[in-house]
Amino acid sequence: MQPLDPVTAEGLGRRFGAVVALEDVSFRVREGSCLLLTGPNGSGKTTLLRILATALRPTRGRAWVCGHDVVSEGHRVREVCAYLGASSGVYGGLTGLENLQLAADLCGRPRERVPELVERVGLQPAAHRLVSTYSLGMRRRLALARLFLQGPQVLLLDEPFVGLDSEGARLVRELVSSVKEQGGAVVLATHDRDRAGGLYDAVAELQAGQLVQGPGLVAAGRI
Amino acid sequence: MRAWRRVTALARKDLLLEWRGRDALVPAASFGLAVLVVLGLVWGGSPEAAPPVLWLALLLASVLAMGRSAEREDEEGTLEVLVLYPGSREDLFWGRWLALCVLLLALGAGLWAAQVLLFNAPTRNSTTLLLVGLLVAVGLSAVGTLLAALLQHVRAGRLLLPLLFLPTTVPVLLAGVRLTEAATSGTPAGPWWGVLAAFDLLFLLVGPGLFEVAVEG
Repeated sequence: MQPLDPVTAEGLGRRFGAVVALEDVSFRVREGSCLLLTGPNGSGKTTLLRILATALRPTRGRAWVCGHDVVSEGHRVREVCAYLGASSGVYGGLTGLENLQLAADLCGRPRERVPELVERVGLQPAAHRLVSTYSLGMRRRLALARLFLQGPQVLLLDEPFVGLDSEGARLVRELVSSVKEQGGAVVLATHDRDRAGGLYDAVAELQAGQLVQGPGLVAAGRI
Repeated sequence: MRAWRRVTALARKDLLLEWRGRDALVPAASFGLAVLVVLGLVWGGSPEAAPPVLWLALLLASVLAMGRSAEREDEEGTLEVLVLYPGSREDLFWGRWLALCVLLLALGAGLWAAQVLLFNAPTRNSTTLLLVGLLVAVGLSAVGTLLAALLQHVRAGRLLLPLLFLPTTVPVLLAGVRLTEAATSGTPAGPWWGVLAAFDLLFLLVGPGLFEVAVEG
């Protein structure tokens, strides 16, 4: 039976050769909520997010995003899900405006929204400059504008605060809040719990690829 | 309609990046011209030598342009973002293929003009020659786009690309040479139109599917 929650994982595992990156991870994220994913470096946070985003296939277990299987219905998952990884994924040889116009074309959104989004993320003065001249924080803002443009039901964020100033961090919070308000779900992996404060509804901690519950942690609706 | 918008956006992106960076066409054109000149010196610049020299120069020069789009995605970390957009991943193949086709047509036109000057090659039946050039560009681009994606995450992939690309595209080279000779001398083309069309069709049919597998995690 298809799970009804926006994000569901059951016995999820991923190996890279002999290395076990993720083992038997099960959780669900309910509508209108945000799960904070914590854990030390190499604990499997990025692997988990990439599996949910369909960038990586699990070697065992299953996961669903908005009821769609991430392996057999990857194309449907990508219709409702947006992912921000460690790389901003923007082209240095294009201007900020051109990068967002490309994103609009690729995700089927109207190009008319692009100027408004450039302004929203505070990049209007640099919109016609090549992104190769942007700072790390400006690139991250551009990547955030892409997520606003996609308007996903499920948002997967991997260390979204890296390189961002306080205004940039406010944009992340605004994005997370908008997805939650519209009944979507967010999985947010970060070491910066201070900046994520107030955004999340539950915490899950990964250690050596396994989901553990530390003292004071709230289970994210664990199965 | 949406797929067409995605494909043209991707091709436009690749061509815009190439226009601004000129890091594929300029090296490829320079190398192709060098091949033309060297082979012209070896064969004495006779018009009969022009067709094989032209297509050999284009084939060798195109190797330099093949993997550039994939390399760019690697350098900027943009491939993961591209494959996670909604829509078919086959569109990524078609976008890269279209941009590469345009680049190879430009490269082929430049090399053709150079060989007319260097070899005093006949220019009659230019419509037929244009069609040959188009079919050659279509085939080379399909093979190049596919191999560049398959080798993107392979160690020493840049070295393997020409090793796989050159033998695979021998039918295109032979068809290009024979069809050009037939067009300029007015002799029958034999089975070469069919060979070239079949080659193109084969790689355009299998290319998108294999490309999708290659970019999957």
